[in-house]
Amino acid sequence: MPNDYLSPLLISFRTVLIGTIITFFLGIAAARWLARYQGRLKNILDSLFILPMVLPPTVVGYSLLLLFGANGPIGKILLYLGTSVVFSWPATVIAAVVVSFPLMYLTARGAFEQVDPNIEDAARTLGASEWRVFWTVTLPLAWPGVASATVLALGRALGEFGATLMLAGNIPGRTTTIPVAIYFAIQAGDNVRALVLSAIVLIFAFLSLLAIARWKGRLPKRRIVSQ
Amino acid sequence: MLKAIIKRSLPGFKLDVELSTNRDLLVVLGPSGSGKTMTLQCIAGLCRPDEGYIELNNRVLFDSAKGVNIPPGKRKVGFVFQNYALFPHLSVVDNIAYGIRNLPTTEATEKIKNLLALLHLEQLGDRLPRQLSAGQQQRVAIARALAPEPEIILLDEPFSALDTQLRERLELELLTLYDGFNGSMVLVTHDLTEGYRLGSRVAVFQSGNIIQHDSKEAIFGEPVNRTVARLTGVRNQMDGVVKSATNGNAEIYVPAWDAYLTVTVRRLPVIPGQRIVLGIRPEFIELAQKAGENVFSVTVLQAVESIAVTSCRFRLRQDTQGRHPLSATLAKSQIRDLRDGEECLIYLPPKQLIIMNE
Repeated sequence: MPNDYLSPLLISFRTVLIGTIITFFLGIAAARWLARYQGRLKNILDSLFILPMVLPPTVVGYSLLLLFGANGPIGKILLYLGTSVVFSWPATVIAAVVVSFPLMYLTARGAFEQVDPNIEDAARTLGASEWRVFWTVTLPLAWPGVASATVLALGRALGEFGATLMLAGNIPGRTTTIPVAIYFAIQAGDNVRALVLSAIVLIFAFLSLLAIARWKGRLPKRRIVSQ
Repeated sequence: MLKAIIKRSLPGFKLDVELSTNRDLLVVLGPSGSGKTMTLQCIAGLCRPDEGYIELNNRVLFDSAKGVNIPPGKRKVGFVFQNYALFPHLSVVDNIAYGIRNLPTTEATEKIKNLLALLHLEQLGDRLPRQLSAGQQQRVAIARALAPEPEIILLDEPFSALDTQLRERLELELLTLYDGFNGSMVLVTHDLTEGYRLGSRVAVFQSGNIIQHDSKEAIFGEPVNRTVARLTGVRNQMDGVVKSATNGNAEIYVPAWDAYLTVTVRRLPVIPGQRIVLGIRPEFIELAQKAGENVFSVTVLQAVESIAVTSCRFRLRQDTQGRHPLSATLAKSQIRDLRDGEECLIYLPPKQLIIMNE
């Protein structure tokens, strides 16, 4: 019986952890790139990155199935390599990353755009490489925004349901995340299980928001005025 | 020794300048949007000219023809930004240390200590930029730029954020610092008097071009044309025709006033019959007691008193339409009170009248 509860918790925990780490780096890379990119493709790339946020989860899930399925372009490559992700644990991570990426990207880009470009230029004239400018100036100055972005992405990854169900299915002990488990518990009339899992998620979400809010408060504040 | 030829096109703006300086303090003067800051950014490597050539002490920093573009950090160009652009999350010491992290720790510590002393920041090493006054922030920005021992320092309107008193003190400090600095400085400003006080050479910018690049004395004493004159404070300008020119003096006829003026000729060769523009700074117009050469009878249109000077607008008696008034700034210690509508005599000293081209 305890295992019935523990399994979706562990699966969700691993999915959210790995998914958020991937989203964090992909998101800030894309955000940093587009925050200063002035090329012709800017609007197209921007729309593409935000797209998963506005699409119905079923459309995201179906698109992922088409991409990763046995006949999809990525699915074929994976098949050639002797593997497949559909209805496996990595599929929960893929779904989590795809749906949480737009939140990370949008919020982090806003934070990067707020950084005074003169301060980054100052670092450049002092001999810093682009890499060092990013890690010692841009990221620390954008940190409150980036931290918020991470929290939002984490929350979205934790709550991911539709695309996960379509791409990863509901295989107890392997792909059943908390939201999926809750849905099927209600379907099966197991109200206790649904209630307990929901309560756990609720408490966990609240505590992590609280922890991150306090952690953020301790980090250096952004300069309020420049010019 | 800096040599820079920069061409850069933006929608609605074209920068095309040629600049040089040789171990002196070059002042870049011009209105906002004339391309001063962009020129500095190109020299520092923060923006890329479409075409051009930049050389500093025989090192090529940028050459569009050969595809050379040295990154900003390797140019040995120090930059002091208009808003100082200090790292808000780093202490004063860490700000200064940012550009010298390749030095051994003891050497870097020693250098930071010296810079803190040089810029009177000894007590402030642990502070964050937001805990500093504007003047202190500027000093930190200068110390930070000096730390990697650049060969040239570019200062973009470094005094614009400061009040008058602080400004004058920091100007003096900068001059002292410049005397001890083994390199060139380029200072951007749109303040004429500041440019005059600080610079030894001046480049005047106007809509993306340099319209005069010369010694300070030449720029302010012999502006080449109307625009330079206007930008350097020669507010009185009138069209004239050369009537005669003899050893060092010229007689100029000003149609608007139907009057002849005697002018000391400095640089431009003047030929009788030539059309020229005659100018005089408001500060050089004097009140006269009796009629004589270059003395005119005028009516006071408006007199505005400041603390030490009175700014007046005069209408010459001959200028019946009142279309060519003269502006004058008169020292209050030299004059009695002037009232609007009052009549008096003014004198335009021949040595202070400037002959220039259109």
